[in-house]
Amino acid sequence: MEHERTAAAPARQHIQEQSRMAAARALPAWVPQRWYVHIILWAACLLIGFPLFYAILVSTQNNAQVYSYQFTPGLSFADNWNIVMVNRSLGSYMLNSVFVAVAVTVGKTALSLLAGLAFVYFRFPGKWLLFGFVLITLMMPTEILIIALFRFINSLGWGNTYVALIVPFLASATGTFLFRQHFANIPAELSEAAQLDGATPLQFLIRVLIPISWNTIGALAVIQFVYMWNMYIWPVLIIQGQERQVVQVGLRTLMGGDSALVFGPMMMGAVIASLPPVVVFVLLQKQFMSGFQLSRDK
Amino acid sequence: MAWLFRQTGLSPLISAAIGLAAGLGGTLVFMLPLNFCTFEAERPTLDLIFGLLLIGVGLALTLSAAAWLVRWWRGRGQSQPAAASSQPGAFRGKIMPWLLLAPTLIILALFLYYPSLDTFSLSTQLARLGARRSAFVCVDNFTRLVTDQSYLNSLALTLVMSAAIVMIGLVLSLLVALAAYQPVKGARVYRTLLIWPYAISPAVAGVIFLLLFNPVGGIINYLLNGVGLPSVPWLNNPAYAPWAVILASVWKSMGFNILFYIAGLQNVPKDLQEAAAIDGANAVQRFRHVVLPLLSPITFFLIITNMTYAFFETFGTIDYLTAGGPLSSTTTLMYRIYYIGIQNNDLGKAAAQSIILFVMVIGLTVLQFRSTGRRVTYGA
Amino acid sequence: MRKMLVFYLALVIALLAVVPAFAQEPTEVKVWIAFTDNRLDWANQKAAAFNEKFPQYNVVIEGYKSYEELFAATALAAEQGAIPAVVQYFEAATQVARDSGYFKPIAEALGDRTEVNGIPVNFDDFIGPVSAYYTLDGLWTSMPWNTSSAIMFSNQNILDAAGVEAIPATWAEMEAACEKIMAMEGAPEYCFTFPNHGWFFEQWLAQQNATYANNDNGRAARATELTFSGDAGVNILAWLDDMASKGYLYYSGAQGGASWSTVDQSFLSQQTAMAMYSSSDTAIYTNTGRENGFEVVASFLPYNDETGWTGNLIGGASLWLADGLSPEVEDGALTFLLWLTNTENAAEWHQVTGYIAIRESSIELLNTEGWYDAIEANGGSELWAKDPAVQASKGKAWYAENPNFIVAADQLARSTITPATQGVILGAFPAIRNVVTGAIDTVLLTDEDPAAVLTKAAADAGVILEEYNLISAP
Repeated sequence: MEHERTAAAPARQHIQEQSRMAAARALPAWVPQRWYVHIILWAACLLIGFPLFYAILVSTQNNAQVYSYQFTPGLSFADNWNIVMVNRSLGSYMLNSVFVAVAVTVGKTALSLLAGLAFVYFRFPGKWLLFGFVLITLMMPTEILIIALFRFINSLGWGNTYVALIVPFLASATGTFLFRQHFANIPAELSEAAQLDGATPLQFLIRVLIPISWNTIGALAVIQFVYMWNMYIWPVLIIQGQERQVVQVGLRTLMGGDSALVFGPMMMGAVIASLPPVVVFVLLQKQFMSGFQLSRDK
Repeated sequence: MAWLFRQTGLSPLISAAIGLAAGLGGTLVFMLPLNFCTFEAERPTLDLIFGLLLIGVGLALTLSAAAWLVRWWRGRGQSQPAAASSQPGAFRGKIMPWLLLAPTLIILALFLYYPSLDTFSLSTQLARLGARRSAFVCVDNFTRLVTDQSYLNSLALTLVMSAAIVMIGLVLSLLVALAAYQPVKGARVYRTLLIWPYAISPAVAGVIFLLLFNPVGGIINYLLNGVGLPSVPWLNNPAYAPWAVILASVWKSMGFNILFYIAGLQNVPKDLQEAAAIDGANAVQRFRHVVLPLLSPITFFLIITNMTYAFFETFGTIDYLTAGGPLSSTTTLMYRIYYIGIQNNDLGKAAAQSIILFVMVIGLTVLQFRSTGRRVTYGA
Repeated sequence: MRKMLVFYLALVIALLAVVPAFAQEPTEVKVWIAFTDNRLDWANQKAAAFNEKFPQYNVVIEGYKSYEELFAATALAAEQGAIPAVVQYFEAATQVARDSGYFKPIAEALGDRTEVNGIPVNFDDFIGPVSAYYTLDGLWTSMPWNTSSAIMFSNQNILDAAGVEAIPATWAEMEAACEKIMAMEGAPEYCFTFPNHGWFFEQWLAQQNATYANNDNGRAARATELTFSGDAGVNILAWLDDMASKGYLYYSGAQGGASWSTVDQSFLSQQTAMAMYSSSDTAIYTNTGRENGFEVVASFLPYNDETGWTGNLIGGASLWLADGLSPEVEDGALTFLLWLTNTENAAEWHQVTGYIAIRESSIELLNTEGWYDAIEANGGSELWAKDPAVQASKGKAWYAENPNFIVAADQLARSTITPATQGVILGAFPAIRNVVTGAIDTVLLTDEDPAAVLTKAAADAGVILEEYNLISAP
């Protein structure tokens, strides 16, 4: 995989240079190359960014300013902050979300690595059947099972605990599949050499496989973190009260069911609740792209 | 039945025995738990038909499983050594792989397989949250849906809404990706600014669009009025409310689509395009005949993930934006399960509707596997 | 292999560490209420004051978005055996609450006690309609707290401008007033609106002295059949349909909670002249009008001229005590409930919201000029002290200064008590109410015939009731 990418890079660069030169010849120097592409991209970025931008703006305003469509920041940032963080203690929901999302991301990555290891580096009877057993769960979205899962988790006595938010999500077909694919593409010489050195499978995993799998791990981590952070219907069912509730559900307390919506705190909550996944995603964007072998799929 | 086994080369007697066992199993797989209730004399014709249908499905399941097993058994001789030899560098150890797999398998079995089965059992019950008893109602929870206009509306809505989210989302994303994959200055920054909504949650999308579409103070209507267009009753008119959900969902899922399309476009070999250009094809022709076909695996993958998104993930958006209304115009099948099961406490009916959605997802997944083979990557 | 075991051990320990340890000294009393606005703030401030006064208890208030959501959350929590000490259930949940066995009647928990932790038990002090409603089978079942009725708020400035002389009291007068309002120059976008919620249907049904369900509205015996689809019910839908088609009625939107917000927004931004609403928001409506230069006048909910007015229903919710609490928690909960509804707190709650003052003594207090000092001495909340109406009326008799606040109580006091106006007690009522709300939706948004829509709604709801009774009745 690495080979192909490095081989492709110079070729791409070459094309880039060519087009740059062509554009430079046709246009005056102050126009960015391919100005029309820039315009389209600017427009797209603005359009896509507008809802969030406006939400950030409104998070500093009171309702009167929202109703009069002010496009300048208001003076209610402190008031709204007080409502969101003090009166409705969104911070505690945020901490719960961080805890759950991190726990699942770490746990799921670990279990998927182990499962991938088993599927690629071992021979045992019934392997294909087991792989099928894992793969079939792709057809079972948790959303469909929530009512039965709710009953089962309660019968275990796990209702209203973090365990209920974490444990059912620790295993995944996506992760197992991803690592199986990834390991299968790693030259067999590596594991043969490791065996010659007398390494156990776990040592091989930790010393050899993980260091060369950071892109895949990063990709899975992004997906899982975002997925867990954004999970909504399951915590609505299984977590009651606010002690262990996650932020996606906590936003409900900013809504005011039977009274006028107060947009400032609502938007502030929405923006705050979006920060962690967006930051994680933007930071791990490169791993995400390469981990999914997006640049290899020819 | 015989044709199923012809190619396996088993003796007719064994084929017949397996066929018989599978047939019996197929009949019983649904009917034994149901205790053949659909065939009781006082049951309506609809139940009878439904019962026959279930037997048919059961037969199809067990027969194909039997056929597959037989074929696997026969083919074992050839494929097994091949599989083994393709695995140089395998570790030795009999228990180790099981230990490694155990947590994954146990969790999947307990928290996905078991609840799936329990959903089936719940779907035959009259069961309410907080009720003292439950009652067996055979397949009533299913057959009633056939004449339930509001359920059929939800079904149609879900299909139409999914189609709209997929089509609008993919077309817009491809257009943006066509600009964004070009190696212009600052491409990385542009890309980041285009794809971040992937990380926004469906619930937050609902909260933000509740502001944008609000009947009082909604900025979209203000902007529409600004360019001389009339206000649109986004949230309190059943004709427009689904569009509010669709637009919010398209916005939220565009980042993901753009990301994949950029990657796909980057992988279209340049020499192919250049060759086409030399042949005198213009940009549009090149796009249609060279680029688009090469993007079709990614497009198909995105169609499936967007469909799944539209089926399930839109729940958060709907719950914050419209709460399923007005006039149930945004009550998708998933929202309906929540509404019936949790808000109205009717667990049995919600379970039955879950199973129907389940069947739809299975269909979708089978389609996915058929068309893309085994080289697909999955988004959570 | 050993490493694997160590790995799993570590995993298990990590998971166990997740379960937080509880090591709090004061007895925790959890209270769930269905508010997320200033009413939650008020309850939080009161709980803080209570915890200071009774350091042996720690009352924790948690807010839910709506009654419906809290109702669902409680049912879910009950499955987990994790019901809080006190839950606020709306009136529609009364039968479900009784059937579920989650709760213990307040009177039963109190026994013969005349005071708990020094707070007197004084049920005789509650006003008539309240004690009539919350006494079931002769037993005080839940603690009244936020009692309301459906009333109407009018924007007097618009009415004056349109030349409407008296605030309309009947449906026909509504139509006449709307005709004038919509015909004038600078007319608002719509004449009137109401939250699209089955509760208003119930109010109009009671006004016409028609029952919702059989067996005297479920009060003589368990309700088994629905009766709301008779002429009185059809009258309501036909009138709403007529008002909507004439462009007078502003359809407030989505089934579910959002419609309340829409009404607030459209009335308070003066886009509609009149809003039928719960008296719960009298304070917000009156104050917002004052701040924005228009006068808001509260009046009785308009009724059908042809069938006359018998009375209106109580609305709102009450506080239910969980069954199976430890004696300490139960005492803590009872203390809090009795304290929260004492004379001064009931008066304060009434002033900051508009909910009916549920105690005779509260009304008496507010009629004196010294109410401010009395409430302040009791520990008036910050929210209350900041309330503009409270500050403006300081030192004067409350109701004389704030006539809007007496309307709901007046409406209930003048109601004739019949099975219809006592309100229905019904199993699966939240689900059935949703069906009726859906019927109003259908009539307002489609061309379907009101009578046919209501008949179908009654049939659908009938199935829900039948199934509920089959498996939920003790």
